[in-house]
Amino acid sequence: MKQTLQYDQLSCRLKVEGLPDVSVGQSGDALGIITGWSLQWAGRPELEGRKEHLLALMQVVLPYARYLISGVPRRFGAEPQPVEIAPNPQGGHTLLLRSSQPDTPPLQLALDDAELADLVRVLDQLRLDPRLQLPLELPQPQPLRARDLLERRPLVQRLAAPVGGLLAVVVASGLGLLIPEPKPGAGPATRPAATQPAATPPAPAP
Amino acid sequence: MPQDPTAPESSAPLPRRGLERLDLLLLSAEALDLNGGEAMVWMSEQMGFTSLFPNRVELWKRRCTNPLRRTTRREALAPAETDALIRILCALADRLYPLLRGLLTSAEPPEVLSQRWALFRGRLTDLIRARMNPRRGGVQQLLDPESGARQARLLIQALALGAGVGGFERLRASLLDAQP
Repeated sequence: MKQTLQYDQLSCRLKVEGLPDVSVGQSGDALGIITGWSLQWAGRPELEGRKEHLLALMQVVLPYARYLISGVPRRFGAEPQPVEIAPNPQGGHTLLLRSSQPDTPPLQLALDDAELADLVRVLDQLRLDPRLQLPLELPQPQPLRARDLLERRPLVQRLAAPVGGLLAVVVASGLGLLIPEPKPGAGPATRPAATQPAATPPAPAP
Repeated sequence: MPQDPTAPESSAPLPRRGLERLDLLLLSAEALDLNGGEAMVWMSEQMGFTSLFPNRVELWKRRCTNPLRRTTRREALAPAETDALIRILCALADRLYPLLRGLLTSAEPPEVLSQRWALFRGRLTDLIRARMNPRRGGVQQLLDPESGARQARLLIQALALGAGVGGFERLRASLLDAQP
């Protein structure tokens, strides 16, 4: 009755154990209830957990791979979530697993690009396995917006155009200030015909 | 090769940048496999796309919608055609996965890795010089030693993460990205 699904890649092996959900009429080789899973890494501690942890792993690793394929490495999984993945500034990726047990420090795994690809492949194999008859709440891959893609451009490159524009405005304003202002006293001299009749005193009465 | 049953049919045509990238990814698969062009035709037949690409010339013509090509075609590709090309690419990447993994791993000695990358980049550069328009800025960037190396790594990473049936939706979504 107990079913085990196993997926192998060069650096990792995912094993999912469970039972068919006979209450909804699943056959003997189906897996409708996950009782446990384990992820074995070559030369690293084995990961184990419940269905919720496996879902949390898939919910951060698969969107992370989706962004990475567009060349946008971005952190997924905030503090209360059990799994977090982020790009490593030194290269590669950091997978952080927070234990639900109290006083247990989070486990941090450094993955290179090949190990991440292996992990994504085993999760894909599980997700698309017809024997797994369990709805998985995973986000559908979506095209990225222009704003998301802008993040992959270096900050200096992104700021070059607005800073250049601002500099041009400042230089133009500075040059404008250098032009001398017209003197107020020179005004009447330029308009003699219009001002002279008003300046003459009226003739005295006889 | 089975297809992802959860993947919905695409209705949006690929933007210009997506067409460029799709052809470059196919070109990278050719650079990894000397027989890649033939493998593409064979894969198309095996996956049942003969109604879309009846022969190698038709397949070639679809790839020539890449604006970076020397002889580019202006016709728009139907979403069904681009979906078929992406499925062929995912199947090729799945077949070439051991090679892709070998390029991305950090477990091998650096000399071995640099030799692998040099071989791949040499072949990719030859293919780009032969087929792409060298006056286009995008092609010049690919041929540039520094930015070309960075782009080659992104192409290999995209192929590795898009390999297999599960990679189809990820890869298609990335090719439909908005223009930055």
